[in-house]
Parts: sequence; C-alpha cells; structure tokens
Amino acid sequence: MQYALLIYENESIFGPGKAGPKLQHAVGRHIEFTKELGAKRVGGAGLKATSSATTVRTTKGKQTIHDGPFAETKEQLGGFYLIEAPDLDAAIAIAKKVPLLEDGAVEVRPVLGPG
Amino acid sequence: MSGGALERVFREASGRIVGALAARFRDLALAEDAFSEACARALKDWSVGGYPADPAAWLYQVAVRVALDGLRRRRTHARFESQLSAEFDAQAVHEDDDIVIPDERLRLIFICCHPAVSVDARAALTLRLVCGLSTQEIARAFLVSETTMAQRLTRAKSKIADAGVPFELPAAPFWAERLDSVLVTIEIAYAKAHEDAAGSGPHAHFAAEMLDLTRTLVHLLPTEAEPGALAAMVRFAEGRRPARVDRTGLMIPLSEQDPQLWQRSLIDEGNGYLHRALAIDPNPARVVQAQIHAAWCARSDLQDPPPWPAVLAFYDLLLSQRDDAVVRLNRIVAVAEVRGVETALCDLEELDRKLLRDFGPYHAVRADLLRRAGRREASLQAYDEALAIIGSPAERRWLMRQKKLALSRGI
Repeated sequence: MQYALLIYENESIFGPGKAGPKLQHAVGRHIEFTKELGAKRVGGAGLKATSSATTVRTTKGKQTIHDGPFAETKEQLGGFYLIEAPDLDAAIAIAKKVPLLEDGAVEVRPVLGPG
Repeated sequence: MSGGALERVFREASGRIVGALAARFRDLALAEDAFSEACARALKDWSVGGYPADPAAWLYQVAVRVALDGLRRRRTHARFESQLSAEFDAQAVHEDDDIVIPDERLRLIFICCHPAVSVDARAALTLRLVCGLSTQEIARAFLVSETTMAQRLTRAKSKIADAGVPFELPAAPFWAERLDSVLVTIEIAYAKAHEDAAGSGPHAHFAAEMLDLTRTLVHLLPTEAEPGALAAMVRFAEGRRPARVDRTGLMIPLSEQDPQLWQRSLIDEGNGYLHRALAIDPNPARVVQAQIHAAWCARSDLQDPPPWPAVLAFYDLLLSQRDDAVVRLNRIVAVAEVRGVETALCDLEELDRKLLRDFGPYHAVRADLLRRAGRREASLQAYDEALAIIGSPAERRWLMRQKKLALSRGI
C-alpha cells in the first residue's frame, strides 16, 4: 500500500526568516532520512511557509479565494512523504523516524488506489 | 437445544470462527457477515435436520462457503481477485473431510485492539468479534443507542480495512506497544463492568466475559507476565464485588468491606494467575498493581489490620514504573493511613490540579483528607466538586453521607 506521511510542526520554528544552523541540521536529517528510505520513498516535498499559501474555498458552488492556509492551527502542514509500506504497522514505524525539529505530529494516511 | 443454549453455542464459536475467517480472507467485515449468515442458516437447518455432532465445525464450514460465495460475487465486479479465490477454492475442497478450526483468536484480538482504532471502538469491537456479544448488548453496556454502537463498529471495521491494519501478529518491534493496546482495551471494557458496583445493571454478565477474555489471553500468551496480572486483577475485583455495596445501595470503601463476603474461589484463581505472572516477570506495572489487589484480598476478616504499609510500599514501587497522577493519588490514600493526614495533604498539593480537575476520585480523596484534617469549609466544597462529577449512584450516596459527617462536625 501507499501511505502519505503528513508532517505538522510549529511554523515559528521552521517558518519564514528562520534560517540558521538548526534548520540546516533539520534539512540534513531529511536528506539522510530520504537516503535511508531508498525505494520505499515514492515521492514527497517540503512546503514553503503558510504565509505563502492561498486557499480556494468552494461553498455551495461559489468559489472564493483566501490568503493563508486552510486551517489556522498551532501546528501547520510543512511537508510530506509518499511511501510504500506493506501495512499500517510498517508505515507507523517509518512515521516514527520522520525527523522533527521539536514537538510535532506525523499523520499517516493511506493513499486511494486499487490497493 | 433451547434458544439460550443455541445462543451460547454461537457465542462460544464466535471468536474462533471469526478469527479463522478473518485471518484467511483478510477481511473483518466479510468474516463477521459470513459467521452471522452461518448462524442464521443453523437456526433454520438444525430445527429441521437436528443438531450436528460438532456445531462449531458445522458453522465454520458453512461460514467459509458463505465467504467464498461473497468473494465470487465480488469477483464478477472486480476481476483482480480471481487468483485469490482460486486459492481459497482449493483449500475449501481440501477441508471438507477433516475440520480443524485454526485458532486465530490472538490475531483477531490484536486486530480489534490496534491503536489506530479509537479506544472505545476497540473495546466494543473486541466484545463483538472475540466474545460474540450482540451489538445490542454492547450498546447497553456502553450506555449508547444500538444505532450509535452499530455505526461505531462499522466505522472501526472500515478504519481497519482502509488504513491497512495488518492481519498478522505484531512483529517484534511493535510487540510491546500493541500488547499494551490490547491490555488497555480490556481494562477499559472491564471498567465499564466495574463502574456498576452492584453488578445488577446492564453490565451483569459483562464481567463474566472479561473473566473469559483474560483467561483466553493468558492461554494464548503463556510467556507474557502482564496478561496474567490483568487476569488476576479482574478476578480480585470480581471476587470483592459482593461486598462493594451494602443492602441500601451504599458504596463500601475497600478498607471497610467485610472480607467474609468476598468470593474466595475467584480470589484463589486470581492468586494462581498472579503467581504465574510473578514467576515470569515481577517488574511490569500491572504485576505490581495486581500485588496491591492481592494484599487486600489476603485479609480474612475485618479484625485483620488493613494492609496499608504493604500497599504504600507497592505504590512506591509502582511509581518507579508508571509515574502518573492517578498512581500518585492512590498512593496518597495509603500515605494518609501510614504517615498521617497532614503528610498526605502536602503530597496532594503537589499534584497537577489542572490535570485532575475533571477526575472525580481526586476531589473525593481531597474532600476526605480535608474532612479528617478538620478543615470543614474546604472539605464541603471538595465534596460538592466530587458530587458534580461522579455519577455512580452507590458512590454518590457514600459521598453524601461523608459530606453530612463533615457538616455535623461544625466548627
């Protein structure tokens, strides 16, 4: 099966203007992690800060455009991995190893498909 | 066979058959539906043709055929399962002469209790599929409508299918986490039965299911200490049930319960499980907790001094294994008896009040300590806080009686 690992972290740590050794270190760890995943990694990307996000919302057929992310929460979606794993336990094991800067969460979501 | 006897046959066969079907077809909903259909056919066939020699084997065989038919029907819609079905067909023919239902209950328990399923749904699903309780019975025990419970069960089964919960026993790196999830689920299910102090409410035979389920788990996991400790605790708690409430429906605290009313056979069984668990590993938190229960259950009558010093020592040990607010609160109750109320109150002040704000027992313990320390106003307020949260009628009556006691000692 394929799973998306959606990474939620506090943007005040990785967000705009947060260059520096800490972030550099995190990027390094993601590169390491990607190497470790090898063929298990199907895809993925890091996302720019939510300040760069624009949301198109459809309500009762009417579309409006908003600045900012879909949801204003303490932790924001900052990136994702698309992985291949035999089952949920294997996907959770990989999710536990996703590098985080500090506190955060990794949501494990199965990807739609023929299986 | 009477209707009740038939129901018992179905219930006892449930875990075995649903487990075997789920392991084979890797589809929980298909397994459950096939078993239900087999029971429906049994009701019809057995009343006409008489009872088979081995009803479970009959049910299993029919359920396998029903499941295969279901898969075949699906195959006409989606061709990609043809290879799987061909494999199943070969097995079905092969099994017709000698039927041994493979014991896959352990796999089934681990699937039902996967941490990806919500805690409440885990307990409900286990009771439904492993213990064979009806949705209606489970709904009654969880105090929700049958429709709500049916939806909760359906959601849980979809989650297991959609999220790709494995139909295998957990691999070594996941073992501890997954086993804990199973034990927590059983604890939650048992807590439902335990809340009902008199044991006469909708949970009446629920507790018996927990005795069965823990016995099965110990049988299936003979090298693990914690399932045995849990089996022991359930027996100790059930053994004390006859003394937990008096004739007027008033809760009796553990230290005031008359040990002569306790059910010795259950307590003896509990001690058997505990000794085996201790021999495997005396360190896990649940094994220490079971020893606390055992210390209480060793009392033979009310003249026997309560085992507070031993209880306190076990709580100190437990704290080194599992340091959480509830363990600390229980320890404080023992501290009050061994080192005095003032020391206990000091310890209580150190607890995280915010975390325990909605926890009824916290306010009940606090009220009791304040009352005994002669701090009347603070105690009365704490009783009110406890009464605002605690719903069990027996416990409420006891709290109201204690509150009256505090009131009558006017300063």
